[in-house]
Parts: sequence; C-alpha cells; structure tokens
Amino acid sequence: MTKSKISRRTFVEGGVGLTVANFLPGTTPLAFAASMEESTIAAAKTAGAADVTGMIWSPYLVPMQPVIADFKKATGIGIGGVQDISIFDAPQRAMAEALSRSPQFDFIHIDSNMIPSLASAGYLEPLDEYMKKANFKIEAVADYANFMTYKGQTYGIPTDGNVHIQYVRKDLIENSDNKKRFADKHGKELKFPETWEDEFRIQQALMDPAKDLYGSGSLRNRANGPTWWYMMFYSAGGFTFDDDMNATLNTPAGQYALEIYLQEKKVAHPESAGWGTPQMIPRIAQGHVVTCQYWDGTAKLNENPAKSKTTGNWLYGLVPGSDFSGKRIHRSISSPLAAILINKYSPRKAQAAYLALWLGSGKNSIPIVSDPVNTFNDAWAKEHMKSEAVQKAYSPAGIKAIEANFQVVAPPTYLTGFLEFQDTLGKNLSEAYVGQLPAKDVLKKTDEEWNAIVGRIGRTKLKADLASYKAVMPKRNVPV
Amino acid sequence: MSVAVVAAADDVQPRLSMREVSRRRAIKRFKWSILSPLIALMGFVLLPVLFLQLYFSLHQWTVYLGSWWDADWVGLDLFKEVLTDPRFGWAAVRSLMFATGSTIGCFLMGFALAYLMYKPFRGQALYYIIFILPMLTVPVVVAYTAEMMLYQSGPINDAITRIIGIEFKPAWLTNPHIALPTVMLLEIWNWTPFSFIIMLAGLSSIPKEPIEAAEILGASKWRIFWEVQIPLLRPVIFLALILRFLEAMAEFPKTWALLQGGPGTATETLPVYIFITTWQYFQISKGAAMSYIVMVMMVVIVLIAIRILRQEKQTLDTVYGNKAAGNSGSGS
Amino acid sequence: MIKSQRRRATSIVRYIVLSLWAVIAFFPIYWMVSTSFKPDTQWFTWPPVYFPDPPTLDNYLNVWFGAEQYAATQYSISSQKPLISLGNSAIIASTSTLLAVLFGSVIAYGVSRYKILSEVRMFQLLMLRMIPPIVIVAPLSLFYSALGLLDSMVGLILIYFLTSLPYAVWMTKSFIDEVPREIEQAAEILGASRWRTVFEIVLPLIRSGLVATFLFILILTWSEYLLALILTKTQVTTLPIELSKYQGSTEGRVYGRQAALAVGITVPLMIVGLIIRKHLARGFSFGMVRR
Repeated sequence: MTKSKISRRTFVEGGVGLTVANFLPGTTPLAFAASMEESTIAAAKTAGAADVTGMIWSPYLVPMQPVIADFKKATGIGIGGVQDISIFDAPQRAMAEALSRSPQFDFIHIDSNMIPSLASAGYLEPLDEYMKKANFKIEAVADYANFMTYKGQTYGIPTDGNVHIQYVRKDLIENSDNKKRFADKHGKELKFPETWEDEFRIQQALMDPAKDLYGSGSLRNRANGPTWWYMMFYSAGGFTFDDDMNATLNTPAGQYALEIYLQEKKVAHPESAGWGTPQMIPRIAQGHVVTCQYWDGTAKLNENPAKSKTTGNWLYGLVPGSDFSGKRIHRSISSPLAAILINKYSPRKAQAAYLALWLGSGKNSIPIVSDPVNTFNDAWAKEHMKSEAVQKAYSPAGIKAIEANFQVVAPPTYLTGFLEFQDTLGKNLSEAYVGQLPAKDVLKKTDEEWNAIVGRIGRTKLKADLASYKAVMPKRNVPV
Repeated sequence: MSVAVVAAADDVQPRLSMREVSRRRAIKRFKWSILSPLIALMGFVLLPVLFLQLYFSLHQWTVYLGSWWDADWVGLDLFKEVLTDPRFGWAAVRSLMFATGSTIGCFLMGFALAYLMYKPFRGQALYYIIFILPMLTVPVVVAYTAEMMLYQSGPINDAITRIIGIEFKPAWLTNPHIALPTVMLLEIWNWTPFSFIIMLAGLSSIPKEPIEAAEILGASKWRIFWEVQIPLLRPVIFLALILRFLEAMAEFPKTWALLQGGPGTATETLPVYIFITTWQYFQISKGAAMSYIVMVMMVVIVLIAIRILRQEKQTLDTVYGNKAAGNSGSGS
Repeated sequence: MIKSQRRRATSIVRYIVLSLWAVIAFFPIYWMVSTSFKPDTQWFTWPPVYFPDPPTLDNYLNVWFGAEQYAATQYSISSQKPLISLGNSAIIASTSTLLAVLFGSVIAYGVSRYKILSEVRMFQLLMLRMIPPIVIVAPLSLFYSALGLLDSMVGLILIYFLTSLPYAVWMTKSFIDEVPREIEQAAEILGASRWRTVFEIVLPLIRSGLVATFLFILILTWSEYLLALILTKTQVTTLPIELSKYQGSTEGRVYGRQAALAVGITVPLMIVGLIIRKHLARGFSFGMVRR
C-alpha cells in the first residue's frame, strides 16, 4: 500500500515534469510503465482544470480519493459534488437522468450492463477519442475490456471487476470423516466441484441445518437471482435470443438451468428466497455456508480476520460448469460490473473522461482494488494479478480464481432494455423459487414477456444490439 | 349560508343596503384575493402534469425511442394493454387486500385501546405517550427496523419463542404467503396510533347525559356500547376507516424499502408496480396509462368517501347543533 | 362489593392489555435505539443480541461526524453528509409547512367567516392529499426538469406546500371556528380591513393553534419519501432518502449506522409529536370530533 502510493506519486511528478522523471537514474522501467499515466495527464491538461460531479456510491469513491487527489495536483481536474447512491439504485437514477437529458452529472459510476440502454437513450459519450489522445488502453484480464464496448465504441472505464468465483470451505471438504462418508455414499472423491451436479452433491452431503450450516450461500432473491441463473444457462450452451431476436429461454438448456437453479431450495437456508447480500455475506464469512458462487470481493472480507470467522478456511476456484451441451463449458458472470461512464450532455465531459482514464490505468487502480477497508472495488486489470498488494488482499488463491473466472466471464442480457429483461426474469425465477409459479411455466412466461419487451423497444433496433452482446460473450469454454 | 343570513339582515335593515352591497363586494374581493393565487398555483403545477400524463398514456414512448414529443400516437392501446395485464390486476387485488386488512386492523386495535383508555385512570398519560410513538416513526425507518428484526432467528421470533416456550419460526419476509400480511402488520403497528387518537377523541367527546340516562334505566354496558356509544361515534369511525384506507392504498415507502415487491411478486402492490414500470423499466407510457387508471379509480373512491364524510358531518351538525359546530357562517 | 371486585378485575385486564400493546409499540423503537449502540459484530446475529455489549458510540460518530476508519462517508464530499441532509430536511419541511400554515389559515379564515369555499369544495381540497403521489410523480419530474426545479429545494417545497395545504386549512379552521366573532366585528366597525383583522386579531388569537398545526404538518413533510426520492438528486437530499443509502452490498447491510441515522431522523419527530400530542386528534379529524 505504502509502496504503491509512493510510486504513484512518482508518476504524478513525472507527469508534472516529464523531463525530470525521464532523467532520474534508475527510473527507466518506471517511466516506461508510467507512460500511459503520463500521456493521460498530458491529454487532460489540454482540457483545462475543472471539478467534475458525478453519481457514485461512497464505498467505491473513498479508496479512489487519494488517486483523484494526485490527478488534481497534476492537472487541476478533481471531484466536486457527487450523488452518493447505491450501485443497485444507480441504474434507475441514471435512466432518469437520460430521460431529462440532464447535464448535471459529468460521470456516472454504474453497472456496465447499462451501457446499451444508456447509449441508446443518447446519454453516453464514446470514449475512444479521449483514449486515443491519451494513448490509453483498457488493460483488463482476458477479453474483459469488451464489456465496455457497444456497437464498436468504448463507453466505459472499469473500476470493479466483480466477477463470480467459487467458494468452498476448505476445512469441511478436507475433513477426513467427510471424505470417507462422501466416498462411501457416492463412490467418488470429495473434492473441489467441477460441475453443477458435483456442487449439489457436496452441498447435500456436508450441510447440517442443526448446526446452522447450510449447503449453499448463492443468492436466489428477485433482484440477484438472474445473475446466478445465467451462469447455469450459458454453461449448458444456451443463449438468450436467436438471430431474429426471439427469446430462447424455453429450450432444453433453459430447462436444465432452471432445474439446477431450483434444486438449491433443498440445500439453502429457508429464508434464501428473500436474502440478498446484506444477509448472505455475513452468513458466508461467519461460516454458515459450505459452498457457493459469489462476487470475488467477498474473498477480501473472508480473508480479513477482523471481520470473518473463516479466515484461511476457504478454497477459491472456477465456478462449476456443465456437460449438458455435450462438451464441458464454464461460464462465470460479472454483474454489476461497476464502470465509469461519461454524460454526453455534460459541459465538462472531457475532464470527466480523462479522470476516468486516470482511475482506469492498471497501476493507478492497484490501491483502489486492494483497499482493505472499503472492499467494493475488485481486481480486474492484468497488472492487478501480479501486484503484491492485491495478492495480499485477496490471498494468492483468490487472485488465481479471479483470473480463471475472468477467462470465461459472460454478461447478463447485454441489450438495450437491460433493466426490464433482468427484472422480468428475476420476478419469474423468484416466483418459481417461492412456489407462486409452477416451474414448467417460468421459461414460457419469460419468453413471452421478453418478446413483448422486444416488440416495445423495437426488433430491428435490438437485432443491431445483438452483435455487441455476442462480442462480449467469452471465447473460451474452459480457462487455460 | 352567509348569503342567506346577509339577505335576512337586508330585509330587517333595508337602510343599510348600500353599505351591505359594498360589504358584499368587499367580501367577494377578499375571497378572490385569497383563492386566485391558490388556483393559479394549482393550475401551474397540476395542469401541465395532468397534460403530460395524458400525452404519455396515448403515445408509445420510452427513453430509447427518441424525443418524447415525437412519440407515436397509439390511441387507447396502452390502456388496453394495462387492463389486460394480469400483473396489474393482481397488483390491484394486493393493494385492495393490503388497504382493507390494514385499515380493519388499525381500526380494531385503535378502537380497543381507546375504549380501554377514554376514562381517566392512573398512568393514562404515560400510556398515551407510548401509544403514539409508532406514528411518529418515519415509514422508511419502520421498514429498515423491521428488516433488522424480522429475519427468521431475529429478535421477534426469538422473543416470542422464549415467551411461549414453543419454537416460533415464521419466515416473515421470505415466505410469499406471509410477506404481504407482514407488511400489513407493519402498517398496523405504524398507524394504529392514528385510529387510536381519533377514536379516543371521539369517545371522550360523547356527551355523558345519554349514557347516564341509559345507566339509570338499567341498560347493560353491552347495550350502552352498541346502542348509545357506537351510533354517536359513527362519523368518527367512518373518518378513521376512510382516511386510513386511502393512505394505505398509497403506501409505498415501507413496501418498497423492505421488499421491493418480492419475494416473487408477493408484495407488488399498485404503487410498487407503477414505480417498477416507470422507474425501472422506463416504460413511461405504460406507467402513465397505469397511473391514469389508478388515478381515476382513486378519484372515484375519494368522491364516494367525501360523500360519506359529508353526510356524517351533516348528521353531526344536526345532532350537536350549530353551537358545537363552531361559529360557522356569519349568523351566530 | 361484587361491583367493586368486578371493577378491579376490569382494571387489571385493562392494565394487562394496555401494557402488552405498550411493549409491542415500544419494542421496535427500542431495537432501533439499541442497535444504534451496538458494535458491528452484534447487528445481525444468531441468536439476536438484546443489549449492546459493550455499548458504543461509534455508529453515531461515524454517521453524523464521519469519524473512524470504516467511514463510508469519511471522504465524502459536499452535499452528502447526513448533517447537510438534516439541514435540507429542516429547511424544506419547515418552509413548506410554514407557507402551508400561513396560506391555509387565511383560507380557513375566509371559509370560517365568509364561506369562500363551500363544504363540498373543502372536502374536494382533501383530494390533493388523498390521491397517491405515485400517479403523478413521473410527469411531475419531467415538468420539473423542464423548469429547472428538479433537485432544488424550491421544487420540493412547492409540492409539499400543495399537498399539506388541505391539512393546514382544515386544522386551522377548527381553531378559528372557536374564536368568538365579536372582537372581529368590533374591529370591522372601527374600520379595520379584513386583511388586518386576519393578521392582527384572528391569527394572534389562535397562536397556539397555529403552532400545533405547524408541528402537525411538519411530521408529515419530514417523513415524506416517494416525492423526495424522485425529485432530488445531488444538491438536495432529505433524511429519509439519506437513510436508504445505508444498505451495504459486499459488507452486508450496515444496520448499526443505519440505526444511528434512523434515531436522528426519528427523535426530532417524536419530540414534536409529544409537544403537540393533545392536538393530534384535531389535525386528523376534519371537524368530525366535537369538543
């Protein structure tokens, strides 16, 4: 932390006085690595000093503050007022902004899956020009930078990877009694799950409700449910729409995913239908869960002994995959993927854009993603994976898991109208999970409702979106 | 009524007519100098809003479809869509159930408490203070406090289990059959003080004479209650029921902050569904059509309510005479 | 003798029932307050912790003064601190309420003395309050954004003023009705204008009634949620909106901080409510309760 802080300051000074940095002995690699940061500063200076305003949730903002302060010193561009709003409320608020074409916010910090909707609403400024001027590239793990693009243009700078990884309780899975019991019953070795079927067997075998230990800690509530369902659906080889924009959830892959999704009821806490992260994360960290998929940031919490009872007791890895399609496919998910987007109507959009670039360089974001207290920003850049500070925050195993999952990470419905698609699916899944809707009707109903949404937004328009959606889908089935 | 009185005064004292005319003119001026800013202000805020609402409900528009003033005219299609949308129907049913249930709950609880308290006794003031506290809690606070307390092994279940000695573990917020009643209970907790206050005031204002007379005649408490007190309380009872019902129909903060319509759609009431449609799906047009339908529905309900309230108030005026009704009118 | 026994039994039953409800009414409030004094390990536990052990002021220091390392608000800038929201809430609620009471009392005077609104109109005025705000808030926000009133105190004050006017008119009317007319008639004969009569004679006479009305409406505007949620953005945040920000994501919900903030929102309201507790019935009863 201290180390990176010092080096960052060096870059800033380097940016302020290029010559000085370049002629300092022994700083050659540093100056080389810093070039992206320097060019960002140089480009930002042409935009002029300003205090930009934005919509961002303070837990995300807090660890960024020192980095922003450095930028302010170098370029005069800093942050004025912000609307401090939860990342889950931000999409709706941003749409309201787009609705009124308000110039009020220069940037918004939001789930990148909102890019198609907000861009279609005419709210977003493409960033490619700024990136060219600043000689900037999003150096994310694997193909992750694609998540920022829509119709060939880049609209966002990531600050938070938020990829799902698999969590397994090491102490339980390596316990010899458990191993023996499991082998006797299933004729298989008890080890890190590779498929959804494996995971379910483990959850059933190791759960012990009498001790308040439940098999799964995955979410099944209305707001978050779809995030989990997509992993199962994609890994079974499914995709949401055909080329003509007809919904294709009600397919064998969809049915399979739904079955996996709903069987969770047998191994989850009875209240899981209503639980979101506020309830589930303490459950995970305090040791009431055997295994689950969860956002990678929770690893930081688990490994923080001040806040967790399970430090050192976790295995991290790739989320389960499926053989359903005839070959093994793993699909992780990133949602909400917090990124900085720029308002087209803002008079200070250039300044805001350069600030975003500054925050989005691998080097500058290391202290942001490794902050031990405000753990919201999660690692995403290539550079993070090698950084000592980041490794320490997530544990080396955690970082390895993050890197693996990034290679097979998929988005939810990356289309205009994301919120509507998402909530419709979430509502139907949740109704099925609590028994209000028979399982056989879920996908049929969702297909119908999705087709209605397609009709409302415009089939032609969405067909044009489809290419961007497919471009975000991962190319690999299994990480290398 | 003032006109009638003034006219009567005219008959008695014709010589004042000149003065009366100017007086009446002055009153008229006075009236309009008060009312015109009010009407102007309401026109300024409400007319554009109602116009926009109507425009959107007749045109198909969402944020993705260009500028709102270029939206396609779709006539009554959206109204048709809303009225055939089963989700809307269920939301309406839930709202009505929620409003009815919580109204009755608040009323019964409030009335029972008021009945136990309207005669002075030791500690009355203290109980009164404690009883009105829930009403003075901000609804969002109620929602978040409820979330802290209502998880399955939370303090509510735990305390009840300890007291009755049997495991008591309803999943208040996650069982779809219980979720709506849970919000109803919160509403009852929150607003019982309202019914309590009104009913207490009503009970204490009943004149003693008829009750004493009935007691002397040897009527049982039960009969006095049903045949003397209840009829005298009718207007207040209607008031408590109607106001509560209307407020409950509009209830949003608790339902939204606590459950956002879930689990499933178990707590998706009309306000929640309109909010989701407009501010989550950004189907501005469909939301506007829904709003119009709900608005018409509520106007009808309110008009009926107003009719009932006015009738009750008139009965009250006849029972108590104009003295108690205050010095309304210029005649007294 | 039997009668006195029966009376005692009734009295015991009464105390039991009342005390039971008192516990029900008070327990959630107790829970909120006690949670606000709990350290973060005791917010959400199995089984629950009933008494903060040891009680701590961290939550308050953190939420209200941005102290301590956890501080989501530690570096927060400009308008986002609860103290500022507190200021916003206070200004918005009190200004709109003051306007409503002033304007409302003049209307009420006109109604009471000159029937400038018929009884039907008086009841129709209530519609302003009784139509759920959700049905107009979407076009209202578009209209406001066109006028530049979105995210401004003026915008909220205006709409709160309109929606609390019915209560102001009805409640002040009930006070004005009780003022004997003789004094005004005397003033009128002495040649005082109607406006002077209102402001110099009638309103001073119902001073305490105006205060009660003011505080009563303050309770309603202070706790408003939906309109504030949609009509505000950065510059203006009221306390109930501030509260909904304290839902954690990766750390779990920050119940203790939330409770500390909730206590801050609720306490002013309770004080106000207790001050005017005798007048609450009048505010709610629209002339239906006779004294």
